[in-house]
Amino acid sequence: MARSARLTTQALAVALVMALLALLVWRVARDSDKGVSQALKDGEQPTAPAFNLKRLDGHGRIDLASLRGKKPIVVDFWASWCIPCIHESKRLEAARKRYGDRVAFIGVDTKDFSSEARAWKRKHGITYPSVHDGSGNVLTKWGGLPIPKIFFVDRAGKVVGELIVEEDLPRYLRQIASS
Amino acid sequence: MRIALVLVAALLAVPVAHASERHPKQSELEGEVMCPVCGTTLDQSNSPAAAQIKRVIARRIVAGDTKSEIKDRLVAEYGEAILAAPRRRGFGLLAWWVPIAGILAAGALVGFGAWRWSRAREREPEGRRLDPALERRLDDELARWE
Repeated sequence: MARSARLTTQALAVALVMALLALLVWRVARDSDKGVSQALKDGEQPTAPAFNLKRLDGHGRIDLASLRGKKPIVVDFWASWCIPCIHESKRLEAARKRYGDRVAFIGVDTKDFSSEARAWKRKHGITYPSVHDGSGNVLTKWGGLPIPKIFFVDRAGKVVGELIVEEDLPRYLRQIASS
Repeated sequence: MRIALVLVAALLAVPVAHASERHPKQSELEGEVMCPVCGTTLDQSNSPAAAQIKRVIARRIVAGDTKSEIKDRLVAEYGEAILAAPRRRGFGLLAWWVPIAGILAAGALVGFGAWRWSRAREREPEGRRLDPALERRLDDELARWE
């Protein structure tokens, strides 16, 4: 009896250690999942990570995956506290007038207070739809801070580039519009 | 006596906690809410994102919100990670009770191990008693040397 109890205790201890090891491995594997930005730097063209988030204006949700195969997309990560975001969002707004019929423009308001974000959009005249990613979980999948972060997704749902310098905007827009 | 003192201290703390819940202070909340972009509490950060949340908190305090209402509003916007410590309700309770349960379980395990070890030591001489014939011979040998 004493022997079987000892064996059971040992088996439980081994199982506990194995479970903790598995947890550690899972955590490390999860953390090492590089974002879209890093994948692009490594020369890859990753599939755009899906998101399904509430629209800032309260009119339902936007499911990125539902746009796959229909239209190329520009994904703009911004926040109302982000000063450089003003300039980039205004550039996107201007580009939308030219490419809006062929390319979908979607803003992702991240780590932000939604009422402040709505006021910010009104103040700066940004009209393309935005979704709210308050926790920043979606931003993390795409590469994390800093913002603004602007990505170009072709019609097949592959991320072909990220805006690094100003000239990237017309170049990538032409590329995805013809995809 | 000590228990009475602890009870008195606990009773005195209740109205203070209640007042803090109904009339929260800006500085208090800034120590309990995280800056979403810097990994510190709001009171440790001067980032624009932190400044924005500080403004929101100030407005809600003026509007008469309780501490829980302000925190609920922030959690609805930013998720649970905006709180510096998990809430003492629902799933958040796990974060408070699991470490305590772990410490109690570890204490019980060590206590049980010590108890078994001491019992094993008590039984030990019986298990190693010499053969009576050998013991008699050993006594005889020792007697010769005395």
